Formats: sequence, structure tokens, C-alpha cells
Amino acid sequence: MEIDSLREGFDRVAEKRSLSSAKALEAVDQIVNEVEQAIVKLQMMNTDSTGNVDHPSILAELKSKLNEMAPLNQLEGSQKELNGALSKYLKVLEKSFNPDISKAYRNVDFEVHTVNNIIANHFYRQGLFDLGDMFARECGELGGTSLKLPFQEMYAILEAMKARNLEPALSWAAKNHDQLLQNGSMLEFKLYQLQFVEILSKGSRGEGKDEALLYARTHLVPFAAVHKEEFQKLMACLLWVGRLDQSPYSELMSSAHWEKLAEELTHQFCSLLGQSRESPLSVAVSAGFQGLPTLLKLTQVMAAKKQEWQVMKQLPVPIDIGPEFQYHSVFVCPVLREQSSDENPPMRMPCGHVVSKQSIMKLSKSSSRPFKCPYCPSEAVASHCKQLHF
Amino acid sequence: MDMAIDTPSPAPPPTPPAPSAAAGRQTRAAEAVRLEHQLVRVPLESLRATVRSNHRLAEKEIAAVLSSASAAPAESSAAAVDHLTSLVSRLHGLKRKMEEGARVEELQVQRCRARLDRLATASTGDDAEWEDIRLKRILVDYMLRMSYYDSATKLAETSGIQELVDIDVFLDAKRVIDSLQNNEVAPALAWCAENKSRLKKSKSKLEFLLRLQEFVEFVKAKNCIQAIAYARKHLAPWGNMHMKELQRVTATLVFRSNTNCTPYKILFEQERWDYLVDIFKQDFCKLYGMTLEPLLNIYLQAGLTALKTPFCTEGSCPREDPLSLEGFRKLAEPLPFSKQHHSKLVCYITKELMDTENPPRVLPNGYVYSEKALQEMSKKNDGKITCPRTGDVCDFSECVRAFIS
Ligand SMILES: [Zn+2]
Repeated sequence: MEIDSLREGFDRVAEKRSLSSAKALEAVDQIVNEVEQAIVKLQMMNTDSTGNVDHPSILAELKSKLNEMAPLNQLEGSQKELNGALSKYLKVLEKSFNPDISKAYRNVDFEVHTVNNIIANHFYRQGLFDLGDMFARECGELGGTSLKLPFQEMYAILEAMKARNLEPALSWAAKNHDQLLQNGSMLEFKLYQLQFVEILSKGSRGEGKDEALLYARTHLVPFAAVHKEEFQKLMACLLWVGRLDQSPYSELMSSAHWEKLAEELTHQFCSLLGQSRESPLSVAVSAGFQGLPTLLKLTQVMAAKKQEWQVMKQLPVPIDIGPEFQYHSVFVCPVLREQSSDENPPMRMPCGHVVSKQSIMKLSKSSSRPFKCPYCPSEAVASHCKQLHF
Repeated sequence: MDMAIDTPSPAPPPTPPAPSAAAGRQTRAAEAVRLEHQLVRVPLESLRATVRSNHRLAEKEIAAVLSSASAAPAESSAAAVDHLTSLVSRLHGLKRKMEEGARVEELQVQRCRARLDRLATASTGDDAEWEDIRLKRILVDYMLRMSYYDSATKLAETSGIQELVDIDVFLDAKRVIDSLQNNEVAPALAWCAENKSRLKKSKSKLEFLLRLQEFVEFVKAKNCIQAIAYARKHLAPWGNMHMKELQRVTATLVFRSNTNCTPYKILFEQERWDYLVDIFKQDFCKLYGMTLEPLLNIYLQAGLTALKTPFCTEGSCPREDPLSLEGFRKLAEPLPFSKQHHSKLVCYITKELMDTENPPRVLPNGYVYSEKALQEMSKKNDGKITCPRTGDVCDFSECVRAFIS
């Protein structure tokens, strides 16, 4: 889209608006001016004590001057120019944007309380607890499942981490030791490592060393076997207590480690809660922004069959959305151009090419004789084709 | 998309090159911006309305002053001076009002610009913050339409997006809605008068329906004479356009409000006021170039349609898919399934797309995983692969390629 041409169009509107506004004020000033002049003339006439004979002519003069000025015409003229710029700009808008994005809308009502519950939980997930509470109160949605408590715990841990306090994070990781291990996460070890580095970088040479050594013994040694390399590197750091920043290991002090770990913690926390990493509402709406243009084009093509659009069970064409929204494997048989199913699963021929079971039955004419792969010169027999599970 | 790289000779028929992922993302992002009509249109309509009412005020006052100036009393010059002096102060009053009006216009101009600036910085597909703000705008729109004004205001303020949402526009509507809910028509009629020509152009029935309601209220109060007088004055002019409805309503004069005769009965019911609120909301949205449905509903519906597959209801639906959740499934129920023309395979282990870069490999048991996932597993386990779904163990070298076109 040409934002610049939109800006140009609007600049014209803005310009005509201020012009019109200035002209209107000017017209009022001119009227005031004329009336005031008439007042002065009338008053001078009084002080001159030449009598009242001439004041009707002063008023008549005022009237004709005002007529001549025609302030209403002035107003009308500049307003017309403004309206012209406005309607031109409106046309540009209609052209640059999709003027009615509800054309692809299917007339079904979303259950309000389902939507509201999704929104409230979205706010809790984002750490916007006051807003979530206020929203739940305002829409009267206090009953549904709430993610408030678990996410409050998570944000408390993250807040503490921001203040360089790892205690809450460590105690959460220790509590969930087994599950983290099962997820293949090194979170717990990395937290201890971070704490260890904190002690090393803060401590003075004498005391710091003892404290660090003690810490390493209690917390890092249990991981020594699993994370051998990292462990040895950390032990070498003991030589640099109090001046870690001048050591070859100064990189360990980078604040990027804190951010990365906060991210990993968020990830693991959501995973153990059985929640997705991204807010599902954000995901669904982003997918909507990507998918809607295709749907709108489709409704345009199908304009004559509006009824069908409202009731169809599957879209006739694919929607182009990013690979990040692909959560399921879909196999489309290249021969039949059909999605596979339990009855018609994907089969791999010995040459490596994959088609659907029905295609193989067709190609082999349901016999045990060899047939040619449609994608290469190799031959296959049906009994040597293997069903795949994606 | 063809996923084969080291195909057994000879090579399979060539497939057209897939557009690069980045290019696809940019096209999609550009298309998404074209959906934001409401964002730029609403403040422009506000500006138009302000300009119009300021212009009307100036016009009316100046015309009044002009005719008053020419009617200055001619008996004595003192009386003429008094008269003209009062005109001058009236003009000063007008000027103050016009300056105030111009300031409002300027703020609205600023708002129109802020919206264009926003779109100029639109995400090219991977700007999470821009997309988060976009979602917030849409949520504010939803709250305003649902009359959750406090939440809408708080969300806008805490995220600093006041210039990007239309709270004041909706608060204007709220005044009218509230009054209709209190069974008052005056503010709604005033709104109709303000927007008369444009409502007429869009063939709005609102004013007619409001007039009918006032008439019905007279009948309800058994005030027949006034009802008839009202009908003559305010309903008769609509006769050409809405004859049938007019006849039906005037017939209520005979039936009174305790009638059981269905077509008349509903006219007396309290729900009529809710109906008026709905009609007002529709006309209001049309006038400002807004969609009738909340934006959230439109985007959610499109998104859920795009995401909906027959696999979503299976137990193995990954939690990253919104449709793994009960609430989203319920919303998606009346929507169609999406469709694929080409295979798209997602690795069960890494959840990444399997393509030429990261091709699928088949275990002896027929289960398919991405090469990356299997390589990593084999590195950790001395070349051994354990199928995460069946527990079968095999050697990495036994995992063969599958060519999917
Ligand atoms: Zn083949």
C-alpha cells in the first residue's frame, strides 16, 4: 500500500481545513470591524452634537458594506474546497483498503461468555492482572476457569529475576526438578550457574571464594557429571573471584544470560502448566489477519453463491498463512489430490515416493504384479509399499 | 512443494520453485494492512462531523448577526449604538466558539495522522510488539461495542494507545444508547437531526422508528388525542416510505396496550427499546465506516477457519494450537475446515516444518520424523533412535528418506 499517497491526500484535507477555519474567523473579524466602525461613527456624530439626522444613513452604509462583503459566500466557498479534498481522500481510502472486511463473515454468534473468558485469561497470561480482574468484573465473567493464580506465580518469579533475585526461580525449579529433566531442560543448572556467577562477581577475594566454593559444592556438584564441560569452566572461574570481569570468562556476566533464562523459564513454566507458549488469542487473531484476505477474495469469487458460503463444511481453496501456524501434518496424495485419512493413508513405495493407498490400488490394479512409480522409472509391488505415520 | 533432494535417478519432474518464506511473509503482512480500513476511516468521519457542525454554527450565527444588523433600530443613535454593541459581543462569543471548534478539529487531524503513521510502521510479519498493539486495539474495539467502557479505557491508557482507538466516538454513542435504555428518544432524535442528510442517503429507518415509538408511548398512556396529533405531525411525512408499518402502528389506537393480538402486542413491549438500540448501533457503525460486528469476532472467525483441521479434535493436538483448547473449539464449531492442496508435514518431535532443508525420514516401523530431530537423537545415543510414539528402537542408518511432492 502507498502510505505516501494516503499522506498526500490527507495533507490536502488538513490544509483546506485550516484554510477554511482561518477564513471563517477572518470573516467574523471583518464583520466586527465594520460594526465597530459604524459604532464609532455613530458616537462621533453624538459628540459633534450635529443632531441625529444622519444615523440611518450610517446604518444603511453598514448594511451595504456587509452585503458587499458577503461573508456567508466566503464561508461556503472554502467549505466547498474542503469537502472536495475530503471526498477525494475518501476515494483513495476506498481504493487503498478493503472497505468491508465483514464480507466473509459467517452469520454465527460467538458465545459471549466463551469469548470473554478467553480475553480475561489472555490478560492474565500477559501479566495484566488488574486489567484482567477489571474486565472479568465488568463483563460478569467471574465463574470460568482462570489462569490468574498460576500466572501470578510465574510473573512474581520473573519480577524477582529482574531485581537479580533468583531465589523464587530456584525454588520453583527445584520443586519441578523431575519434570524439567523429562523436558530435557537445563533450566535448573543454568539458574545455579547464574547464582554462582553473581557470587563470584560480587564477592571480595577472600570471603567470596569461600562462599562460592560452598555454593558450588552444594548446588553445582550434583550436575557435574551431566554438564561436565560447563562445570569445569565454572570451577576455573573460582580463580577470578572479585575480578571476573577481567577474566576470560567475563562473558558469563552478560545480562543477556538473564534475559535468555527468563525466556526459558517462561517457556518451561507454561509447558508444565499444560499451556502454550504464545497466548492462543494472539495466535488466533494473527492467523485471522493472515487468512482474511484470502477469505475475502474467495467470497468475491463466490458472490453468486452466498448461501453456499454460509453453510459449506470445508473451504474450496487453501488459505495462505505462515508456516508458524502449521500444527498438524497434512498429506495430500499427489495422484488423487486428496487429503489422506485413516481409510486412505499415505504409503511409501520402495523408491521413496509417497502416494495414498487408493492410488497404489489403482496403479497396481489391485494385483500383485509390479507397476511403475508415477514419479520415477522404478517399479514397485503393492505388498512392498509401507504405510507412513506423520 | 517438493521435498526430495537426493532423489534416486533420474530426477522427478521439476516443480515450480516455491516463493521464499520471507517474501511470502511480506506479502501477507502487506495484505493484512489493507484490512485496516476502520482504523483510518473512523477519525476521518469524526473530523468530518466536527467540521460540519462548526460550519453550521458559524453559518447560523453570522446569518443571524447580518439580519440583526440590518434591523438596527433607527429611532435614536443611542439605541443603534446599544444594538450594534450587543452584536459585537455576540460576534466575540461566536469567535470564541469557533476557535474552540478549530482546536477540536486540529486534535482530530492529529489523530488521523497518528493512524497513518501507525500503518506506515506496520509489521512486515515478525514484529511481535506491533502485532501485540494491534491485538490491543482490537480488544478495545470489542470492549467498546460490548459497553465495557472502564476496561476499554484502562487497556487504552495502560498501553498508551489512546490515539489509535475511538473511545470518545463510542462514548457519544453511549449517551444515546443509555437514553434509549431509559426509554427516552430525545438524544437519539437529536443525533438523527445532526446526521440527517447522511442517514437519508443510507436509507436509515431510525428516525421513523423513534417517532413510532413516541407515538406508541402516547397510546400506552391512553393519550389518544395527543397520539393523533403527534402522528399527523411526525409520522405522516414518512407515509410514502413506510406505509405498511405506519398503518400497523396507527392501528394500535384501537387495540390499546393490553392487546393480545400478536402483531400489535410486540409494539407495546419493552423489547422494542432494545430493538431501537440495535438499529441505532447499526446506523452508527455505518455512519463511521465501522464494521457491524466487533473486529475481534471477524478476525477470530477468519483465524479459526484458517486453523481448523480435522486433526484439531484429536488427543494429540499440540497445545500451541489454539484449537486444542475447549473454548476455541466451541467458537470454531460452526466454521468450515481449512483446505490444503499440498502436503505440509510437521515433525512430531521438533514441531518444525519438514521441507528440503529438513527432510522427513522414515523409521522401520513407518513413523516419520525430521532429519534434524533424528540426527540429534542419534548423536546423543550412539546412533540409536527410539521412536517416541511406539518405543521401537532402531539404528539411524535404517531410517530412509521419503519423497513427498
Ligand atoms: Zn518413485
